[in-house]
Order: sequence, then C-alpha cells, then structure tokens
Amino acid sequence: MKKWLIILLALTMTVPLLSACWNQKELTDLAFVLALGIDKGEDDMYHVSFQIVNPGNVSTGQGGGGGQGLPIAVYKSTGRTITEAARNATKKVSRRLYYAHTNLVVVSEEVAKEKNSLLHIMDGLDRDPEFRTTTELVIARDSTAEELVTTLTILDKLPVMKITKEIKATEAMLGENMSVTIDDFMNGIISTGKEPIVNGYRLVGIKEKARLAENLQTTTTDAFLAADGLAVIKDGELIDWIESNKARGVIWVLDKAKSTDITISWNGKKNGLSMVPIRSKTKVATAFKNGKPIINISIENEGWISEANTAIDLTDPKIMEKIQKLVERKIEKEVLSSVKEAQKLRCDIFGFGENVHKTNPKLWKKLESNWNDYFADLEVNVKVDSYARREGVRTKPFWSVLKFK
Amino acid sequence: MEKVKISGYQLFVLVVLFEMGSAILLGLGSEVKQDAWIAILLGLFGGIIVFFIYYQLYKYYPDLPLTSYLQKIVGKWVGRLLGLLYIVYFMYVAARVLRDFGELLTTTIYNSTPLFIINTLMIVTIIYGVHKGFEVLARVGELYFIIIYLTAILGMLLIIFSGLIHLSNLAPILENGLNPVIKTGLTQIITFPFGEMIVITMVLPLINDKKKAKWVCLSGMVLAGINITITAVVNISVLGVDLYHRSPFPLLTTIGRIQIADFIERLDVLFMLYLVIGGFFKIAIFYYAALAGAVDVFQMKNQGKLVFPIGIIVLFASITIASNFAEFIKEGIAVTIYLSWPFQIIIPSILLTIAYFRNRKKQTSSL
Amino acid sequence: MSILSKMLKNKQKKRQDDNYRQKQDPQKPEDLPILRDYQENISHLKEEVGNSSDINIREFKLGSHKGALVYVDGLASSIAIADYILETVMESNVPDEPVDIFQFMLDKTMALGSVKTITNWNQVYDALFSGDTVIFLQGCNKAISGETKGWDKRAITEPTTQLSIRGPKDSFTETLRTNTALVRRRIKSPNLRVDSIKLGAVSQTDIAILYIKGIANDKIVAEVKERLNRIDIDSIIGSGYIEQLIEDQTWTTFPTTYHCERPDVVTSHLLEGRVAIVVDGTPFVVTVPAIFIQFFQAADDYYSRFDISTGVRLLRIIAFLIAVIGPSVYIAATTFHQEMIPTTMAIAIAAQRENVPFPAFVEALIMEVTFEILREAGLRLPRAVGQAVSIVGALVIGQAAVQAGLVSPVMVIVVSITAIANFSTPVFAMAIAARLLRFALMGLATILGFFGIMLGLMFISIHLCSLRSFGIPYMMPLAPFNLKEQQDAFVRFPMWAMKSRPMFISKGNMVRTGEHQKPGPPKQSENQSTNGGEE
Repeated sequence: MKKWLIILLALTMTVPLLSACWNQKELTDLAFVLALGIDKGEDDMYHVSFQIVNPGNVSTGQGGGGGQGLPIAVYKSTGRTITEAARNATKKVSRRLYYAHTNLVVVSEEVAKEKNSLLHIMDGLDRDPEFRTTTELVIARDSTAEELVTTLTILDKLPVMKITKEIKATEAMLGENMSVTIDDFMNGIISTGKEPIVNGYRLVGIKEKARLAENLQTTTTDAFLAADGLAVIKDGELIDWIESNKARGVIWVLDKAKSTDITISWNGKKNGLSMVPIRSKTKVATAFKNGKPIINISIENEGWISEANTAIDLTDPKIMEKIQKLVERKIEKEVLSSVKEAQKLRCDIFGFGENVHKTNPKLWKKLESNWNDYFADLEVNVKVDSYARREGVRTKPFWSVLKFK
Repeated sequence: MEKVKISGYQLFVLVVLFEMGSAILLGLGSEVKQDAWIAILLGLFGGIIVFFIYYQLYKYYPDLPLTSYLQKIVGKWVGRLLGLLYIVYFMYVAARVLRDFGELLTTTIYNSTPLFIINTLMIVTIIYGVHKGFEVLARVGELYFIIIYLTAILGMLLIIFSGLIHLSNLAPILENGLNPVIKTGLTQIITFPFGEMIVITMVLPLINDKKKAKWVCLSGMVLAGINITITAVVNISVLGVDLYHRSPFPLLTTIGRIQIADFIERLDVLFMLYLVIGGFFKIAIFYYAALAGAVDVFQMKNQGKLVFPIGIIVLFASITIASNFAEFIKEGIAVTIYLSWPFQIIIPSILLTIAYFRNRKKQTSSL
Repeated sequence: MSILSKMLKNKQKKRQDDNYRQKQDPQKPEDLPILRDYQENISHLKEEVGNSSDINIREFKLGSHKGALVYVDGLASSIAIADYILETVMESNVPDEPVDIFQFMLDKTMALGSVKTITNWNQVYDALFSGDTVIFLQGCNKAISGETKGWDKRAITEPTTQLSIRGPKDSFTETLRTNTALVRRRIKSPNLRVDSIKLGAVSQTDIAILYIKGIANDKIVAEVKERLNRIDIDSIIGSGYIEQLIEDQTWTTFPTTYHCERPDVVTSHLLEGRVAIVVDGTPFVVTVPAIFIQFFQAADDYYSRFDISTGVRLLRIIAFLIAVIGPSVYIAATTFHQEMIPTTMAIAIAAQRENVPFPAFVEALIMEVTFEILREAGLRLPRAVGQAVSIVGALVIGQAAVQAGLVSPVMVIVVSITAIANFSTPVFAMAIAARLLRFALMGLATILGFFGIMLGLMFISIHLCSLRSFGIPYMMPLAPFNLKEQQDAFVRFPMWAMKSRPMFISKGNMVRTGEHQKPGPPKQSENQSTNGGEE
C-alpha cells in the first residue's frame, strides 16, 4: 500500500504541471499557411507573402456556405531572414501561422538570380519540424512571388491546389514540367554531380485583376497562372531557362516523363501523325572509353497512335514499324538538343555526375572538382525504342476514304 | 532477485525489442555514408563475439546475475565495488536513452513542451511496468513484439508504394575502402547497440530452460541486427546519403516522406508508436538491471522499495546529463570510449580470464 | 486511490466486525432437536417465525395419530400437498395394531418423489424455505420433509442481453435447478459434476459449482471452491456479488470473470475446462477463469463458418479499439497533430469548428457525457418512454447542437462512431471498461496528443498483462504467446482444426476433435462428378 501511496503522490505532483498544454493548438487558433511567396525588396530584406486559407469560405458544409468571401487572404511582412519575416507577420495576423500544410513556396526570379539569396531561405525551411520538405518549389517568371500568391483561380478554390495539381498533371500528361520539392532542390544543391532545376510559373494577363474577386466572375479570366519553362540553377543561382520543347527532353532524361505527345510528318504531310506514349522508361548508363566517361541514355516507351490526319493504313505492321522509327528519331533529336542546351550552360542538370560517381568512384574523385566544365564536353549517346502498340478505336483514318484530297 | 521464470521466447522477444530500441531511431553509422549498413552488419558480427564472452561467464555461473558472480570471481569487496559501478552504468545508460527519447519528441512534435514533463510521463509508465515485475515486462514485450512487426510491415509497404525507395542511393559500395567501415562497425556499433547485451547477463538466470539461452540471445541479436540494417538501407535509399547524415532521426524524416493518394501522409504517429514501445523496453530493461543489481549488491530482500528511488534518479539524471542536444551527443562519443568499452568488453573479458583459471583449478582439485 | 482503498479497507473491517457480531447473536435459530410433542414443535415454530402469515400449518389425523403439516404458502405447491399428502393421509387405513406411525407415514402416505427424514430445526427451516412440506407427528422426535417445491417461476425465455442468430434460443432463469438442468441436458456425461453450497449468512442462497471431471483443472476447481468458501457475507442476491468477491484483482476496470445467460455458452466453457458458478435467483451464470480475448467471442462465432467468424471477431476487436481511442484520436489530431490530417480535410474541419465556442476537449467531453447520460437514462426506462428519450437525444445531439453552433458536425460523427463501436462488444462488462478508459485517454490526449494516448495504451497493456484470473494470465494466448492456442484467439480455426482444448485451462482429456475430421467429397464421387462434367 505504501508504495502505491508514493506512486500516487508522484502522479499528483505532476498534475499541476500538466495543466498547461504547451503544444496544444486549437484548429480555430491556427492560420493555415498554404503558400509562401518570397521576394526581395530594394531594402535588401525578404518580403514574404503568406497565403492563408479562410476555411469558412472554402468548405461548402455547415455555416460558411462557401463562396461568400474569398477563399484566401494574403499577408505580407518583411525581415532579414525568413524566420524574422515569419515572426514579424504575427503582428498582422490574429492567429498562429501554421506551416504544416504549406504546399507551395514561390520564389521570385529576382531572388533566384541573386547570389545566395535563394540559398539563404532554404535552411529555415529545411530545419523547421513543422514545415514539410515535400513542398513544391516554384520560381515566378516575369512577376513577383507576391503576385503569384495573390492570384485567385477559378476551378480550384485554393490557388495552391491549382499549381501543385497542375504540375503533377503536366508531368503525367505532357512532360514539360516535373514536381520539384524543397527536398529535390536541396539534393541537387548539395550534390556535386547534379544541379537542380525548378519549375517556372507565370502570371498571364492583366496582373492588377489577378487578386480581385471579379476575376472569378468571368469565364475567360483576366489573369491566370500557367507553368512556363524550367529554371536551371547553378551554384545556387538561376542562370537560365529551358523552354517548352527542350524542357521535355530534360524530363525524358530524368525519367519523369510518363506521357506526352509526339507529332511527326508522314509522306510529306506536316503534322500528319500524333503518337502518345503511355509508358516510358529511361536508363542512364556510364561507359568508359580511354578512361573517359561516356553517357548512354536509352529510352524505351510504348504508346498508341492518337491522331492520323492522312491516308494511312495503320493495320499494316510495316507501316507501324516505320512510324516507330520516325518517333524514335524525333525523341532522340529532342533529347539531344536538351543535352546540348545544358552543356552550353555548363550545368549538369541530369545528374550524369552522380552516375559516374556510382559506377566509378575513383575516377569521380578526379573529376568532381570541375565536373560542370567536364560535362560541357561530355559524349552523350541517346538510343530510343518506341513501340506503337495500338491505334485507338479506328483502324484506317477517314482520310483514306475521302474522295477529295 | 525476484523468483520469476521467463520462457525462451519471452527472452528472445525482449532481446529483439531491447537491441532495436533506440538504435532504429538514430542514424547509425552515418559517418561511413552509404556503407552504414555494412558497418552495422560488422557491428553485429562483433557483438556476437562479445556476447560469447557473456555467455561463457553465464555457463560458469548459470544461476547468478552479473553482480553476483562478480563477487565470486574477483572477491567480495572488489566485486561489490565493480557491481556498484555496473549499477551506476546501467542507470546512466537508462538516463541517456530516456534523454534521447525526450530530445526526439521535443525537437520534432512537442517543441514547446518542457523535456522534463515528457521524460516524467515516460518514466512513470516505466516505473509502473517495472513495479509489476519482470514477468509482466516480458509479457508486455510479447504483446508489443507482434504490434511492432505489424506496424513495421505496414510502414515498409507504405514506403514502397509511395515509390520512395531508390536503391541506387546505396552505390557506390565501399567508396573509401573497407577500413573506415570496419572502424565504425567495430568501435562504435559494436558497443551500441550490440554490446549493450551486457544487461542481459542480469536477466539470463531468470530463463527457465537454460539450454535455450544461447540460441535465444543469438537469434534475437541477429534478428534485431537485420532489422536495424534494413532500416538503415531504407533510410539511405529514401533520403540519400547526405540527408541521412544530416538528420538526427532519419527514420522520422523517412516516414515524413510517405505520401499516398494525397491522403496518407505525415505518418509521424506510426513513428511515435514505435518510439514509445522501443524506448519503453530499452529503458525498462536497463532500469530493471540496475534494480536487480542494487538488490543483489545491497542484499535487500524486497526489491519493491528500490523501484521508485531508482526511477527518480534515472529521471533527474536524464535531465541534468547535458544542457543541450549538442553537448549530449558529444558526451555520447565519450561514453563509447570511456564507458562502453570498459563495461561491455574489457571488464567481462578480464572476468572471463579469471573465471577460466579459477574454474580450471576447481576442476583439477576436484579430480 | 490509496486513500480510497484505505477507507474501503476500514469499511470492510467494520463489515467483518458486523458479521462477527451476527454470529454471536445468530439470526438463525440454534440447531435444536425436534421434540416429541408435535404441539410443542408447532408452538416453537410459531414463536420462531413470529406468526408470519405465509407459514401454513394444517393439523391432521392419521387414524388415531395426530400430526401437523407445515409449508410456506407460495413456495410449496398447494396442489401437490392436497393431492399427494393430504388425500392419502385421509384415505389410508391405519391398522389397529401398534405400528411405527412414522415409518407408516413415510412408506404409505407420501406420494412424492423425494421424501426425507429430518431431525433438527435447521433442517426444518431449510426444507420449509426451499418449498418443501414438513410433517410433525405426535410422539416422534423427527419430522418428514416431502418435496413439494412449487413456486411460480419465470419460464425459459429468449436471452435478452446476449442474442444470437443461429444459436439456441433458451436462456437461464432465476431458478437454480432449471439452470443446472439446462446445462445437464447439453452434457449427458456422468463426469459433469454439480457441487452445491449455501452462501450468505442470512439469505442462505443456493450455489452450484459446475465442472467436468477430467477436463477441468482440479487445481482451479479447488481454488474456486476455496474462494467461495472464504466468502463471509450476509447475503448473495445476484451472481454479481459472487463475481466481486472471488475475482483476483479489484483495482481494474477489466472483468476477470465471465458471466452470461446462455446455456450453450456455459456448456462450451465447461467443455473448455472452465468452472461455472450458478447462483439461485440470478439468470446470469459466472464462469471462471476468464481471459481477455474471451470477451470478444460470441456464441455465433462457433455456429457460423470459420472465415466469417474470424472476420467478425477481428471487426469486434477493431471496434473495441475505436471505442477506446476514438474521441481521443480526434482530440489529438485536431489540437496537436494538424499536420496529419490531409490539407483539404483539415480545412473542412477547421471551417466546421470556426464558430464552436469550446476547445476540442470540452466539446468532446460534453458530447460523450451527454451520450452516456442518454444511454444510462434509456437503459432503465420503460420501453415506451425509452423511445421518447432516444428521439429527444437524437434531436438534441444530432440536430440542435450542431445548428446552434455549439458542436461541430465532425464531433457528432466521432461520438456516434464511438458509441456504435462500443455496442459491438459482445459482453457488457468489457464494453463498460472501454467506456471508462475512453475518458482517461481523452484527458491524456488533451495534455500530450498522440504521445499521451500511446502512454495511456502502454499503461493499459502493462495492466492487462499483469492481470490474472484464477492464476491464468489474462492476456493468455497472446502474452505469454502460445502458437497452438491461436486457434481460438483473433482467428477462429475451422472446427476440425481446433483439435485440442485450451491447454492453459483444462487438464486431462485434451482431445476435442478426432483425426481426419477435415470434410471433403468422397474420392469416388469426385470421379463421378468429373465424368458428369464431361458428358
């Protein structure tokens, strides 16, 4: 009994200590920060925009009714570091800023181009246990990050969802953008054999109207967000952009491409055929010739013919084979041009260096220090195997029976 | 000593839970980067050799715990002094594990909760368990062994389905040659977690089937070693070498990566589940070893009286051991050199040598 | 807790003192012998029972011999007395020569199944109060008791608390003999033992201990008897009394004895080597030892096929977990671990909670307590009123509270799921344990979120593992783990695969099913059917 008494005493001693709930935070006391927009002002301070969700206006359930007001609110604050800016923001927001649901970080092109500005924001994000490092990173092209974060979108009530979903959809359907998280970015920055790329985003239209509710009242919105190009980052700063078609080549090499469309000409007719790969697999292998690394990229994809705007017999295996050849050559060209582009920039965004590292660590030790220069003259071979498996629910296109031609 | 008997399976379960304990949480062998898993396997190998020292001692004195045969081998007073040192060592390690545990929670989820509160609540639970006796601990172990395995399999499946595993992160194997790997494996990982089997010498006499002791402990160590290795492999292949090296608790970061269908994400709870269970058993067994040792050295009849004081000492030690996490980690390195090696390997080896000669003499004299 | 226990201990001590005093001046008359003069016996009886109006005394003459017949009105069947005693007494011809009138009475006039000779007053009272008729004869210092038990009993009805779909529809009643008969009818083996004792200094309640010799562990049987004999209490009004007095551990919310009103369940428990305690006056039979997993086994598990019963049993265990941790997980997730909830869901919940004035814990507590009150109120109300209560409850909780903005709709969902999950535990005693623990875990979740819940669960599991029921570890087939006994734990094996009785309970005859019991089509017909298929 006595020992019970002691245990009981110990328990009762802890009770007053427990009455304070240190980490407890009620949902209603939180401001969910969905996106961060980071700009740099002329005062050399970070201008951070916090996109905060207004739950009552998003949810269509009880109480709110939805659509009464705007789903988001944006607060801005400044600081010399991200932490300082975040703390300064509390002067303007009634609730505790909560970052666990932040899905997007937008950095302005200006910040990205400035030496070390981009890197200065990373550790704060990486270290905070609340912040997810699986958050998407995006660079605002030709506009400030604030403008991007304040834009309202039509289909998705939450603008963040629009951007993150869009990137994923593009990655899956078109292959010109790919999801780049803070983690991926950090990996690229740290690794000596790989440089990071970041998605570019652009605010298209009348920028002043982007943040107004009336922007949502029209079918053709006056301002909308669109993905645009891939930013190439070298030594922590943006050096150039890779645009649409060449961006696709990058995604191919990085083995992120799932589906896209390849348009080829047939019998002299321009844009006669379209093929849609549905599966694609890229393998990067390193071979050595005379002690020099050679990169062999082999891409294997299969898909179907989605469009044939010419008289063609798609039931003929020989013709199919010919189509495949053409597609292969097209992809090859595209990928090679992307590689050339990167080599011109002297920036190994493909991670060839890591590949060399893994296959030949000894050689890598010698090359590591100036790999990017070495990369510029690297021999890269591309081999593509395409398989057009089927051709939709029609065999011959109607062009084949058309009387007028 | 309590007059309890535990079955071979129960001891096996306890060995596995104890060895995995906090080792799975930490980035073991991160110095050798992608070869950490090789270092762990080497450590396991070394740990098994060390275990044979303990086992040989156990064979000489199958009915006595470490603190008792210390007195038989090196004499009553020296033995008692050594026994006392062992008790302090056990309590110190228990406090360290408790601190590990508290630090983890305060750095990740409970960042504004005082460390003291978290540690207090944990130790109260452990006091309750130890108070109920070793047999109950063993039974709880059996219960949670199953739960841990189920959650581990679930976690593994989730990681695989999230497409996070990139085995290419493990290459190149042995980039800097075998030497640093051997060094890490056989100097650090051998003592933590595998050398900590020294604690089991305190509970080995409780096993009801003495013949099983060897295989039970060995298979427990091997299973735990394999689990730790798999965890390290998964961590490295998910996070990459660099992040593995930079995260104090890589497993937490790995689990944080799980994202399935935008719905199953941020499964820190799974991790916490493991954390409480693993931490509980590791601390509880060290705690129990210290308790049993104290009862033995001071020749007390009732061990119930000591349960509470030792718990309080462990709790306060865990708080005062270091003022911040960096200091705590720095101390950890010193512990390996100045505490783990002597207590886990050097003293037992000397003991074994003396015991060998004593027992040979006894045998020859009896002939 | 300990102060409480101390107070309780004092109380117990006092009660023991009381008992002691009772023994000193016994309420039960001393064990006196029966006198020769029947008139004196009658007056003694009248004196003792204090002219109680339900004691009927009828004097009669048997030839020239006088006598009196005593019975308790309502307990004894007056028809039986009239037809099988009085009628024969009146019609019998007593020979003129001197006879042993006592023997004559015994042999010639008592047309009853069970007739006994009794010699002292304790036996007289025993017989009287269990509905027998006692006959005093002039000049005899002994009496005859004839079994005329005939009080009104409740008929065997369908079970009300433990329903089953495919099982038998009978249930125990308040009558001890009916209950033992219900079991005896199912086990037609001479090895079924029914040992009787009387407990309760005042109430003298009949208690039967049932077990199967050769299957039950003798040690457990002896332990049960010992614990029952140790009971010193004035009365046993229900089997719940017995449960509380013989369980291993008082400081627990978990039941360590099992009780049920289904004879088929008791039968199967007996066949597993358990001991059943039947208490007169209660339709609930207690069986011991009880283990944790047993409370999740329902009778239907054994009547339906193994795959179905395994699934259903797993469902019950999950439901139990939900019942224990449901609201606390809600509290932890919404006040500590908002990062766990997917973004859109978090926003939806936040929107609902936007106007709720209470913190999550208070909200949950209010709803849970309201629900418990509703349930408690509904439990004991007449059926007609009960319905009204549930309608009011549903309206108040479901509609009004949400519309008034006092409670968020998610909370209502959580409370309802918890409540429904709680109902799916087959045994009430275990369900109520979950209810208590739920509140403790809610408190822990408020303080430390999931860490608190985990610590709470750890505490509970240590506690569960430390429990024993009649020496059997409570978490038996799990901790200590036993592979063979998994046949009836989380998974129920097919009938033919459950070859032996649970090792940890029964001893002796272990074989449950014979070899080669796995059913299958006969080999010949297999050929035929394939032939048939070809045609």
